[in-house]
Amino acid sequence: MRPMHPRPNPIVAAMYTLRDMEVDVIVVHGPSGCGFMASRMLEEAGIRVLASGMTDNDLVFGGADSLVETLKMAKERFNPGTVAIVGTCASSVIGEDTDMCIKRADIGCKVFSVFSHGCMKDNTEGAIKAIEAGCDAGIIDPAEAERQIAVMKAATALERERGMAARQYLEPVRGPTKLNIARKINETLASGGRITAVMIAKKELAYRFADIFLALKEASDALGGEVFSVANLDKNKGLPRIRRYAEDICSELEFRGVRIDRVIGGLDEYALIGEEIREAAEASDPDLLIICGIPHAYPQIPSDAILITDQPRQLANYLDKGHNAVGEISSHSMVMGTRKIISLETGDTIRDLLRDAG
Amino acid sequence: MRRIAIYGKGGIGKSTTAANVTAALCDRGLKVLQIGCDPKSDSTKLLIGGKGIETVLDVYRRDSDIDLGSVVRRGYGGSLCVECGGPKPGQGCAGKGIIMAFELLEKRDVIKEFEPDVILYDVLGDVVCGGFAMPIRNGYARDVFVVTSGEMMSLYAASNIAEAVRGFEGDGYARLGGLIQNSRNVTDESELIDNAASEMSLDVIFRLERDPVVQECEAKGMTVVEGSPDSNMAAAYRSLAEKILLLTEDAEGGMRI
Repeated sequence: MRPMHPRPNPIVAAMYTLRDMEVDVIVVHGPSGCGFMASRMLEEAGIRVLASGMTDNDLVFGGADSLVETLKMAKERFNPGTVAIVGTCASSVIGEDTDMCIKRADIGCKVFSVFSHGCMKDNTEGAIKAIEAGCDAGIIDPAEAERQIAVMKAATALERERGMAARQYLEPVRGPTKLNIARKINETLASGGRITAVMIAKKELAYRFADIFLALKEASDALGGEVFSVANLDKNKGLPRIRRYAEDICSELEFRGVRIDRVIGGLDEYALIGEEIREAAEASDPDLLIICGIPHAYPQIPSDAILITDQPRQLANYLDKGHNAVGEISSHSMVMGTRKIISLETGDTIRDLLRDAG
Repeated sequence: MRRIAIYGKGGIGKSTTAANVTAALCDRGLKVLQIGCDPKSDSTKLLIGGKGIETVLDVYRRDSDIDLGSVVRRGYGGSLCVECGGPKPGQGCAGKGIIMAFELLEKRDVIKEFEPDVILYDVLGDVVCGGFAMPIRNGYARDVFVVTSGEMMSLYAASNIAEAVRGFEGDGYARLGGLIQNSRNVTDESELIDNAASEMSLDVIFRLERDPVVQECEAKGMTVVEGSPDSNMAAAYRSLAEKILLLTEDAEGGMRI
């Protein structure tokens, strides 16, 4: 079975992975529109993205000159420490020799090339190519590279088994409003019940999903009840940038009076930690279970759990299976470049109900 | 208008055959547009005194506002000569180059401008990718002939080309007209080619003998039809041209059917 809905792109996955490795400039060797949306988002996060802007002529005669010129411009304009070239369909089909272009441009900083293109089937293949290239260039160590690759493979397997890659076509939905689940959450607390909130988030999206813990804290302070929290916020796992996300979020939570009861796994490990998180959640014996981030990473989701996700198609997948789910649509564009927790619509609805109740 | 493609392994005498057929057709009053589809750009050399011409892609690379006058050269007998051209060896994509050159010729409406009776595509060797298959796809060429000798690799290439054409036949594109034997003095050459042809379910439509006059004329930058019109070889090329006229479809339309 081959999914026919739009799927994430290996070229873009390579670009995000280069951001995680804290490359200063990414040069997309391909048409100027290739990865445009993702490039804009990465610029929000402080990464410089340039395109060699290949044209019909470059396809026929080779795009080496365009790439060399772009590398030189990157040096002149940004004086970067590290530059990575990302391959696209266009440059890889004609077999462009990017290493030769690096030598020819000779810009006197670390430049390396990622052999990615759009037809690699899984987007994680592009990310793996970026990791391997970064390891060869010496910007991440081999042990971390090996760990990253294992994480990517687990993520691909999870998507194929239970995620959007397991479905041939899913229509994106916006889903129901957050009113019903917010009511259910507040009622559970008001009646003295115990809520277990699980966050299994992917990287920067944790800046948004972590708001569930803040909202629940406010609700339980006002209404009573108990909250048990589980989150993949291990500050000692992953690439430096990802660790920094966990640090930011943990200190903000702490500052606002929230302690995570069980920290399981890092922000890049959502595909590896589902079982352990489930055990912790079950052991807490909740009256209501909330799973946010990538809920399908949690094996055998109980039918009465509340799921909160960000992808309209992922949401369709959950609703289709009869789950009680809501969508925090467009979260990704909100979290790009942030260092602070950004409130969830679910969280704000909980807060509104608290205010209404006075 | 007839839309003819000549395929065959590189170096087998494809361009020589194509140029001589074009010259013979021009001699009998037809207007022929020969389009070389090989980055070597030597298809039409014998029609224009052994000189190279600027290719469509060279001109386009310099100035995207390409003018037909600068890429269509008049050659022997009023023939119209075009070379698609391509990248430097080892760079870019020659197949994509062919696709782009065709798009440009079509966009500039080369057919309306010159009103040829015959388009003759002379295409590089084997069908290596979609670009080199372009003449047999998208409705460009209607009738395909494959030039071959009795040599193993030549027959192998012929069989690949035949397979490619057959693969598109169902889409209403090109059809196979048959094999043209360009003899290389291989032992039992005709028999070898006949056997291969029957395996491909194709006819051998003509046998060209090996004759030193071909080389002699080539050295002067001419086709045999021009350089030695009274020779047996020139007569053979004229007969081949007649045979091709007989076997091909004359249909209305633009560069594509």
